[in-house]
Amino acid sequence: MKRTSTGAKMAALLLGTAVFAAACGSSTKSADTTTATTAKASATTAAASGSTAAPTTAPAATTAPTVTPNTDPLIIGAEQEPDCADFINSCGGSSWGFWMMGVPVLPRAFDTVNDKGVYSVKPSNILDGEPTVVSAPKQVVTYKINPKAVWSTGDPITSADFKYMFEQIAGPDAKDVYDATGYDKIESVDASKPDTAVVTFKEVYADWKGLFGGSYGIMPSKYLTGKDRNAEMKDGFKFSGGPWMIDKWDKGVSITLVPNPKYWGDKPKISKVVFKIIADTAAEFQAYKAGEVSMIHPQPQIAVVDAITAGVEGNSSYTANTGSVEAIWLNNSKAPFDTPEVRQALAYAIDRDGVVNKLFGGLGVKTAVQSFNPPIVSKFAGSDFSVYKKDLTKVNDLMTKAGWAKGADGIYAKAGARASFALRTTAGNKRRELTQEILIAQLKDAGFEMKADNAKAGDLFGKILPAGDFQAAVYAQVATFPLPALTSLFLSTNIPSDANKQSGTNWTRTKIAGLDDKLQAADKELDEAKRIAISKDIDKLLAADATSIPLDPLPDITLWSKKITGPTDNTVLGPFWNMNTWTLSK
Amino acid sequence: MFSYVARRVMYSVPVLFVASFIVFVAVRLTFDPTVKFRQLRDPNALIRARAKYGLDDPIPIQYFKWFSRVVRGDFGISTRTGGAVWPMMTRALGFTVQLIIWGILLALILAIGIGVFSAIKQYSIPDYMFTGLSYIGVAMPPFWFGLILIQVLGVYVKQRFNLPRPFFYFIGLHSTGKKGLNADYLRHLVLPVLTLTVQLIAQWSRFERASMLDVLSSDFVRTARAKGVPRRRVVFRHAFRNALIPLVTDVATQTGALFGGLIITESIFSIPGMGRLFIEALLSGDIYVVLAFMIITGLFVILFNLIADMLYSVLDPRVRLA
Repeated sequence: MKRTSTGAKMAALLLGTAVFAAACGSSTKSADTTTATTAKASATTAAASGSTAAPTTAPAATTAPTVTPNTDPLIIGAEQEPDCADFINSCGGSSWGFWMMGVPVLPRAFDTVNDKGVYSVKPSNILDGEPTVVSAPKQVVTYKINPKAVWSTGDPITSADFKYMFEQIAGPDAKDVYDATGYDKIESVDASKPDTAVVTFKEVYADWKGLFGGSYGIMPSKYLTGKDRNAEMKDGFKFSGGPWMIDKWDKGVSITLVPNPKYWGDKPKISKVVFKIIADTAAEFQAYKAGEVSMIHPQPQIAVVDAITAGVEGNSSYTANTGSVEAIWLNNSKAPFDTPEVRQALAYAIDRDGVVNKLFGGLGVKTAVQSFNPPIVSKFAGSDFSVYKKDLTKVNDLMTKAGWAKGADGIYAKAGARASFALRTTAGNKRRELTQEILIAQLKDAGFEMKADNAKAGDLFGKILPAGDFQAAVYAQVATFPLPALTSLFLSTNIPSDANKQSGTNWTRTKIAGLDDKLQAADKELDEAKRIAISKDIDKLLAADATSIPLDPLPDITLWSKKITGPTDNTVLGPFWNMNTWTLSK
Repeated sequence: MFSYVARRVMYSVPVLFVASFIVFVAVRLTFDPTVKFRQLRDPNALIRARAKYGLDDPIPIQYFKWFSRVVRGDFGISTRTGGAVWPMMTRALGFTVQLIIWGILLALILAIGIGVFSAIKQYSIPDYMFTGLSYIGVAMPPFWFGLILIQVLGVYVKQRFNLPRPFFYFIGLHSTGKKGLNADYLRHLVLPVLTLTVQLIAQWSRFERASMLDVLSSDFVRTARAKGVPRRRVVFRHAFRNALIPLVTDVATQTGALFGGLIITESIFSIPGMGRLFIEALLSGDIYVVLAFMIITGLFVILFNLIADMLYSVLDPRVRLA
């Protein structure tokens, strides 16, 4: 009897704990936050493009519903949660953070606009027109600030905010900065006139439009000066200079945005937007099908492509006009790819269109890219890689010329070494695993033996690629916009070495005569026409050397309920860039 | 009893110490927290990050720096989020505790019921049926079962009956704007708890069945029956209580391990508990979170093993801890 009552007490205690935890635990504790992270558009290395990758924007089944005012929140599935909301800090760097809390909340000097598939940058509504640029004796950019532009606190956006950003990112007291690219080229920011920011550069910096925006946005100096910015922002921030402001960041659960009442532009028409964190792609897709979320922006994985091909309810957009290029990256310092002839032969051995068609044919993306400059910066891209179409005669000519001959097993060999290599990529990525399968089959016919050798993303990008411990690898690079730069990928001084403390990102160990000069000249060229010409010269050199082989543009995919009107793709600013213009019907 | 507990706790300290060192070395050698800086255009970003995280120090030095902070109650700063590790752990633990408690309760009720019934009705059709189902349950991979539950009870039911929202939710533990113990919470709990418990029910029901059969064939039960004690009284008053002893100790032990997180269940159902925190930290090389996770998990395992031992002595007066 006594024991029975002890058991009952224990059960009651357990139950009580669960009830208590349910009542106070789960979803409520949230930091009033605002976040900002780094963006895929600006933070990462640039890669070049794809000229022929027919940009496909495929609005699948868009219908215009009758709009009834709706006070319900719009619930969106988010695949990733940002690590923190202090985008300047080293904890920044999340695309989803930038999309959810950077673009809608923080003002930026320039907006990236997608006008029917053509991307351009335009002064945002915090500026009073196009900045003036003087290039000699020093590059000086003068920004006039829109007098209507105010923070959610009611304070005007001023030149002091520009100066604050420079000092936080590249000033003498800057600390723990995620990426200082570009800001480290600034000599000074004159904020003597509140409505005019005068930025003087130490040296010519062509990509200046990516500053005071990009992944960092602009932050309010009046609010943050004298405070620990990271402590103020990392769990979310209360200020806003965009159409939305952060209402709540419930870590691991959701991020909620509400309209910024002081916004001077188009005010949001939806009362609240909730981004639910759903890290599991399969569950995310099911959540969309079941109506738990009204919009998703999944990665272009095979299962997603298959599901779209099979048909899903609602609206969808998928486009290959993006800023990412997936390529077969070859280690130019490792056999068998340490000679141009073998690399060229490999390029002729692959039916790249066939690969792309298998991966993304269901989305209408059927042709390979022909440059490392991705489709959104295609004007900088040449089409020189288009010569590489599957041609086994050319494969044989090139391999023979390089001293290789086919063995009894049908695989080329030279001095006892077979043309055998491992293609490394991120383990568990079904799309890349499928790419490997297709390539293995294609290359066997051509006399190459390829094996798949996959590793965790952390190992691949953290150790294997920087150390050059690979022969070939498949992964994507994201371009900077509006000016793509291949310097980090191909400049010979960027080959990881002791000189650069192994931090260089020329993992393919590319070294081509004359390439360094062209890359550096392009980076410093302010005249767009001249820069385009240099970029195309660069593409010629890369293609002639077949230093690596561009493959596919990574499509952007967005699915949304018929209740929502307004979403349009923006591969630079993300799918929620114009959310203030959207409507949500009942 | 007290000295027994004190000794067990003391023994566990070096175990935790050695385990934490092994984990530290393994994670440091396997995962790199600076990966995300490697594709930046700013080459100094990687150098700054390595300096910030102290990665240029030898691994033993890094470990002892961490250890010296831990003994002062500072679990460090997450290399991923920049936030203090301890609040991250306690918050995640809150979610995991909810799943565990509801899961254990449900699993116990069903497993004991099935186990006792199967033992009493040994070799009956229901017994064979439960036996078959338990084998299926044990073999059921949680990630697969969870997705099937979502597809069938979440998506299909919603679409089949044209419901405005799914009857059983599968994202988080509450709908947007809701909190507390209510119908919304229960509708969120059903699928993750089922996913979590399917294997537990299968295992524990087999355990309880075997234990019950063992007790039912023991001398004292035969004696009680021979003396004319009614079968129901013998089964539930005498046999059942004795058959619970091994199960209770097993439940206590497994519960401790469950606090380590329910990686699959929490990931599929978007519940930010210990399991999801652990896997995210591990994959990003967030060593201090991984270590804190390991220590908390270790402590729970030790605690529940102790509880199991003590329960054993409480339930069986013949057992005395020394």
